[in-house]
Amino acid sequence: MGLFTELKDSISRAASTLFSEEDPKRIGIYGPPNAGKTTLANRIARDWTGDAVGPESHIPHETRRARRKENVEIERDGKKVTIDIVDTPGVTTKVDYTEFLEHDMEKDDAVRRSREATEGVAEAMHWLREDVDGVIYVLDSTEDPFTQVNTMLIGIIESQDLPVLILANKIDLEESSVQRIRNAFPQHETTELSALEGDNMDEVYDQIAEYFG
Amino acid sequence: MPHQCTNCDRTFDDGSKEMLSGCPECGGTKFQFRPDGFDGGSGESGAVDAGPTDDSGGTDPVAESPPEPTDRPGDTVTRTVGNAAATVRDLVGGSASEDATRAKPPQQTAGPASADGRESPADGGDDDIIVAESDPTAAEDTAQADARTQLVEPDEMPGTDGFDPAETDGGESTDQPADDDRSMADDPGRLADTPADVAETAETTTANAATDEPAVDGAGSDAESEQSVADEPDAERSVADEPDAERTDRPELSELRKELNDQFESIRVVEPGQYELNLMELYDREEYIIALQEDGRYSIQVPDTWRQADA
Repeated sequence: MGLFTELKDSISRAASTLFSEEDPKRIGIYGPPNAGKTTLANRIARDWTGDAVGPESHIPHETRRARRKENVEIERDGKKVTIDIVDTPGVTTKVDYTEFLEHDMEKDDAVRRSREATEGVAEAMHWLREDVDGVIYVLDSTEDPFTQVNTMLIGIIESQDLPVLILANKIDLEESSVQRIRNAFPQHETTELSALEGDNMDEVYDQIAEYFG
Repeated sequence: MPHQCTNCDRTFDDGSKEMLSGCPECGGTKFQFRPDGFDGGSGESGAVDAGPTDDSGGTDPVAESPPEPTDRPGDTVTRTVGNAAATVRDLVGGSASEDATRAKPPQQTAGPASADGRESPADGGDDDIIVAESDPTAAEDTAQADARTQLVEPDEMPGTDGFDPAETDGGESTDQPADDDRSMADDPGRLADTPADVAETAETTTANAATDEPAVDGAGSDAESEQSVADEPDAERSVADEPDAERTDRPELSELRKELNDQFESIRVVEPGQYELNLMELYDREEYIIALQEDGRYSIQVPDTWRQADA
């Protein structure tokens, strides 16, 4: 079973790094569908490892299984921060295959995608419960952040006392409103960026090093 | 033992799914929720019953009690049960109230004070009760409220002085565990008693007794009820009679059970390809759903600790 193999690998890797300065923290990239989580994960992974994490798509629920990129070393101010990035499926309370039909998808494919997306949400929630040491919460700054999903997830993250970095993504788009996100979660610092364009990534890395280093 | 069958007293652990399809022991379908540390007197419905007894006072214990006592942080099972109870309330609407009324033995409803007692919670704390209630509250309009107000004039109540709080407590039967059992045993429509339940009960029952308002629940004895407003002793009888008229309005038990099952689900299959997800439930589960099937079943990966327990 792939998951167990991965877990085993992860454990042995963790054991092998026992003597390193610090074990890499596992950072989950969370957020609603189509917020740009995978784009961000790929941006980080490409910037620091040269590899991508997974395919990006404008069709929601492209990521339907959590994907990990381990031992991503980020250098800030001469100091190295090593993290494992977990790109998670977008979290939502409803998945409807008809949404995918609008993207020229056959019904069978849409239904399958819907089912897999639902499994993905379950997986994401499970990871949040047990397997992450910190969260990068990605929001599409062109969308209203006052949603049940955002409120609930941020609430869970807070209740777990997990360090969380809120990112206002897609600032390259005209309708972007970072302030709206700041207003929604005033208890957290919000960092703006465009993962697609690579805008403001330096500050994002600073924040990652500060929050998860 | 957070859950207990009201029929045979079998208890179920937190998160148990056994009771979703009826008690395995006796087939009973009514369960009460008893959070850990419940002391029998200060539980979720503890403060509720005091309401009806405080008929002439300005304060309303029902209104003062928390609208959703089940909504305690960190206790999702409690919350789920609360949700389920709310769903049941929504489903049965006014008839749930009638069920509770029916639980009251006839001799206890015989005194005018009983109607009086039931009146006051709604009267004293309308706003709070509305908050506590769900949709059915909307059915009560000003006409009903007026009608109720008429009924509650304290000096119109000959039995107020001689009113025995204990009697009403027994009648409402949602307070102490023993009462709970009795009322729930008589009432297939209820799963868990909450103050909101009782608030609704009190209010709707009163409205039925005092007004001719078909919008509430289409009670067949409305005309009689209205007449009885002027005639206090009759009013009592009308309250006692109404549940019979309501009995036919109750939804099928299977529907209720289905709805409850849905509430407990982490993932609800609306139809193949359409899903509704209960994020908190997914988050709270120890097991992890790894594959969905179209018939609503899913494969789970259970934690290692479960396997060890089984072995």
